[in-house]
Parts: sequence; C-alpha cells; structure tokens
Amino acid sequence: MTADRPKVLVVDDEQQILRALRVILRDAGFEALPASTAEEALDIAATRRPDAAIVDLVLPDFDGVELSRRLREWSEMPLIVLSAVGEEDAKVRALAAGADDYVTKPFGPRELVARLQANLRRIAPEPEEAVIRVEGLEVDLARRTVQVDGKEVHLTPIEFDLLRLLIRNRGRLMTHRDLLLSVWGPGYGEDTQVLRAHIANLRRKIEPGGGRRYIRTDPGVGYRFAL
Amino acid sequence: MSTAPRSRPGERPGTLRASRPNLLIGVAVSLVSVAAATAAIYALKSLAPVVSLSVVYLPAVLLVSAYWGLPLGLVTSLLSAAAFNFFHLPPTGRFTIADSRNWVALGAFTVVAVTVSTVADVARSRALEADRRRAEADLAAAVARDLLVGSETESALAAAARRVAEALGLGPVSIELGVVGPDRRRRVFELSGADGAQVATLLVPRRLPADAEHRLLAYVVPALGALVAIALRRDALQAEAVETAALRRSDDIKTALLRAVSHDLRTPVTAIVAAGHALGSDSLTPGERSELSTAVVEEGEQLAALVDKLLDLSRLQAGRAEPRRDWVSLEDVVHAAREGLSAPGADVRLTVDPDVPPVRADAAHLERAFANLLENAVRYSGGLPVSVHVRRSGPRVVVRVVDQGPGIGAAERARIFEPFYRGRSSGGDAAGGSGLGLSIAKGFVEANGGTITVESLPGQGSSFVVSLPIELPVEQKPAEAEPALPT
Repeated sequence: MTADRPKVLVVDDEQQILRALRVILRDAGFEALPASTAEEALDIAATRRPDAAIVDLVLPDFDGVELSRRLREWSEMPLIVLSAVGEEDAKVRALAAGADDYVTKPFGPRELVARLQANLRRIAPEPEEAVIRVEGLEVDLARRTVQVDGKEVHLTPIEFDLLRLLIRNRGRLMTHRDLLLSVWGPGYGEDTQVLRAHIANLRRKIEPGGGRRYIRTDPGVGYRFAL
Repeated sequence: MSTAPRSRPGERPGTLRASRPNLLIGVAVSLVSVAAATAAIYALKSLAPVVSLSVVYLPAVLLVSAYWGLPLGLVTSLLSAAAFNFFHLPPTGRFTIADSRNWVALGAFTVVAVTVSTVADVARSRALEADRRRAEADLAAAVARDLLVGSETESALAAAARRVAEALGLGPVSIELGVVGPDRRRRVFELSGADGAQVATLLVPRRLPADAEHRLLAYVVPALGALVAIALRRDALQAEAVETAALRRSDDIKTALLRAVSHDLRTPVTAIVAAGHALGSDSLTPGERSELSTAVVEEGEQLAALVDKLLDLSRLQAGRAEPRRDWVSLEDVVHAAREGLSAPGADVRLTVDPDVPPVRADAAHLERAFANLLENAVRYSGGLPVSVHVRRSGPRVVVRVVDQGPGIGAAERARIFEPFYRGRSSGGDAAGGSGLGLSIAKGFVEANGGTITVESLPGQGSSFVVSLPIELPVEQKPAEAEPALPT
C-alpha cells in the first residue's frame, strides 16, 4: 500500500518530533523515513531514494546547512529546512547551499505539507496551462496579458517575467537569487534593490486595495506566490 | 666654574648634586705633591739646569686643579712658585733672587701654572656637567620605567617620588594626583601634561639645597609632568579596554541566550504542537496514540523545567536570590534533590559522615543547586552510579558529587559554570542539557556564602565540590548573588 506513496526523509534529533511527523505525513499521503543524525540521513538518502527531505538545522553531528549541501551534491529532490527564530543566518546559508524552502518552528502540519507539495510539483510539473486564474487575477502566459477583476493591466516585460516565474511556482519560495538569475540573467545575482523596486511596482498593479496579497515576502530571503 | 668646595658627607658622584670633593684632602694633596716635587728637583739637579726644572711642579698643579677646582689650583701654583724660589733658585734658603734670568724663569713658571690650573678647571667643570646630564637622563629613564611599565600609576608614583628625592638629595618627596596646595613644611610644583592641564602635584620639603630648585624646575618637573600624564592616559585606556571586553562578553552571552532560548524552547513547543496535530488523526494505532500523548507530557515537563531554570537564572542575575536562612541538613537537601530527578532509574549513592552538622542556609536554594548538580552528573555518568559524599571540614561542610563520565579538560573547566556553555568533550548538544544547570548551581551556592569548584581528569570522571560555611560570621554580610551575566 505504501509502495506508491512519495517517500520523505525526515531528519531531526528530537524523537518526539519524528513520531508526530510520521503520523502527519502518513495522513497527507507520504511515507516518512526518519533519521536522527546527519550521517544516518545520508545513508537513508542513498539507500531508500526519498522523493523529498525535511531537515532540522540543528543536528548533533553536523548541521542542516552542511547536510543540505551534501544531499544537493547528487540529488535534485526538494529539500525543506526546519528553522527557528534566531537561526535566520543558518536558514539563509541553507538556502544558498541548495535547500528549496524552509518552515519556521513551531510549524503547523498544514503549512509543512503544503510546502512539501508545492516543491514536489517542481519535480513533476503538471501539464502547463496557458491561462492561470487566482481569485480575481488572470494571467495569460501565451498572450502575455494580465487582468485584475476583469480589467486589463499593463505590465512591463520585467514585471511580467517576475509574475510568470512566481505564479508558475505557486507556494514555492523563490529566492532573490533565483528571481534575479532567471529574469535578468547571470551577472545580476546580487542586485536585490532593483528586484525590490520591480516587485513593489508589480504589487501595486496586481494587488488591488482591500488587503488581497498575491505575492508574499520572506524577509531577507525571497518571495513566493500565495497558494 | 665651581663654587668654593664644601665638605658634605655621603655624597656620591653621578647624582644631580654638584660633586664637591673634600677640601682638607685637597690641601693635603697640594702640600704633599709640592713637597714631593721640591724633593725630586734635588735629585734631578745633577742632570739638568735648575732653572728648567720648574716643570716638575706642573703635575701637582694639574692634579689639584682637576680634582679640587681653580682656587686650590691657584694656591698650589703660588705655593709651587714660592717653594721653587725658596729651595732651588739661588740664593736658596730665602725668597730673594740674584740672577734676573731666574726672575724670568719664575715668572714664566707662574704663568704656565696658572694657565694649567684654569684649563684643568674648565675640563673638570665640563666633566661634572656631563655627569649631571647623564644622571638627569638616568633619572628620567628610571621614572619612566616606574610609571609606564607598572600596571598601576597610583603605586608607581611613590616609587618615582623616592627616585627624585634620592637623585636630588632631598628629604621626603611625594607626588599626588590632582591639585594640592602648599603647606607649612612643603612646597609644591605643578606637574602638567603636554596640553598644559595640571595632572598631579610634586611636593618637596620647604627648605631646598641651593641648586635643587633650579634643577627641579629645569629638568625634573617638565619630564615628570609628561610622564605622569602619559601614565594616567594609559590607565584610562586600559580601563576602557577592560570595560569594552566585558561589554563584548555580555553581548556574546546575550547572543548565546537568544540562540539557546530559540532552540531549547522551540524544540519542545514544536514537538507538542506536532504531536497535538497528529493526535487528531483518524488513522492512529493505539501504540501511536500512547506514544504521542507521552510526547506531549514529556516535552511539556521538559519545557517547564527549562522555564524554571531560566527564571532561576534571571533571579540570580538580578541579585534577587536573597537567601532565607535556617538550619538546613545537607542530607535532607541531597535526598530531596535526588527525589526530584526526572531521569528514570538514576543511581545516586549518598554517604554522610556521622559528625556533619546542619548549616545556616536557604534550603530551597541548596535543593535547586544540588538538583542541578545531580542532573548534570547523572547525564554525563553514562548510566554508571553517581556518588555524593557529605563531610565536615573545620568550619565548613563539604559535599563532593562524583560522576564517572568522560571528564572535563582543563580548557573547559574554566567555562563550564558560564550560562549556556555545554560540554564539548562529552557530546555537546547531544547530551541534551540546557547549559544552564551548573551556572544556576554556582549562583545558588554562592548566594548562600559557599563555593563550588570542579576537579576532573579527562577519562576519569569529574568531582564537583561544594563547600558551605556552617554559620556565617556575624560581621559577614550574606554574599550577594554573583550575577551570572555581567550587566
């Protein structure tokens, strides 16, 4: 029965968290592969070939940043790190080392599962639709047009590329670097000021008043399109 | 030019005082050397004409002028001329001179002798001046060493003052920081730094030797002022550096606190929240349900224990751990601490010597201290028994908590009582401690007038030794809880 369930490697030195995650992931349709040290995690990753991994940043042997780097050396599977307030620095380093996303402790299971699914879609993309609709927002990828509540909105080419990238990766964290490299190309990877200005313009155009927010900011890390 | 030589006892060359050799010796040397020259001429008469032999007196003139100065040199010149005339120039035995050529010889000798005297005296003055300069330089160097090499300016000032007194041959001299007024017995000199602001005062006896005041003003006071100003500035910089280091340490500890609180508080909270969500699942087996509910309880207890420790620590830091003293049996305290251990099946063996008296202390404080010590010992003892031995040692009661853990290296021993420090050699975070227990134990023991030390050899376990006074002496105020964090 569990053969066709996606396998998720879960690395945390706290047994109680592993136990709870096993139940939570099972209910969400995954099979949890628990590991309590980084070495154990590397062994399991090599032998069981998990489809995704959830890694705590603080581990007894070496930290989650190093584990992310070593997993990324040979695996493309989605990698989500568990971080706590006060570990922002380690979180940013983990993302730079190859982690795809992060969840802040203490996390709700719904949030964790949603992140997991959003990142698994990157590996197995659903058939591309030409028109994506989210509430009042309609983006036609083929014709490069955007409508907000039925009214056409004019976006600059850069704004449209940013929106397309975010909306095609809905729910997934897109780091500053991801966005800069994809939209502006190599050589612009560090220019976060420019990115911030364009995101602000894009938001003004597609997010009407009334508190509806499509683009979420992950401070110091990147942006994601709300699920 | 030297002044009239005066005899003074105990003078040494090489000091700032003008060197004045003994006048009586000078007169004696003058007389003896003139007599010797006169006698020598008798011996030389057969070899050379007597008129040319007056040069034999010149060494005597030179010697006396060089050591005793011009006046005695001139006296020696005239004495030589008179002796030459009386004993050797015909007619001998009187002061008259028959041959006019001999007048010329005597006159020439007198002129030469006076010239030699004068030249020798100038050389002597220069040598003395050079000596004095060297002595001044030596004094400045010595005072600089006193003031700049030592660590504390206040105590170095006394040594510098002694050197000045010795070098100038003065009575009691002192240097006091700040501005001090003169009094009946002492005069003051203002000591200022390069910016002209007075930093200290030099106090010297009211009656000074003739040239001492000039020397003080010309050489000693400016150098001393500059040196004291530099030394004070160095003190200020040093104090600043110490303060900066303390602040940096305090910042480090606050960062460690933030990180530890972030991780240690969130981990149990995360486990509880996750277990709570999982308990809502429909697919739970009975085994999973009991595991998850155990997780909630255990993590909740761990969280409560950590919150207790953080509260203890902040109480100790704030100095609010005022002990309520009563007679306390350490046997009872250690028993209670052992009962409270959360580790199941911990093997703690207690032995108490029969003659151990109760101590005056706060029982709750001591229980918290020993609970933390036992928890630490059990954690690192790796399942092996922990022994606790209570005995009397003079006016104190000493408790040794001995584990059979991996031991603590010398480098770590100094740090293990710091809050949030976790032993590295023993597996660090893996051992699961909060890093707070030992600093809390130390805080409570010290708040009750006791001390705590650790003895350990890597590989042979560790002994934590708590020593408590049986009764605090009346005059000794209860020791303030030493802040575990610098504030």
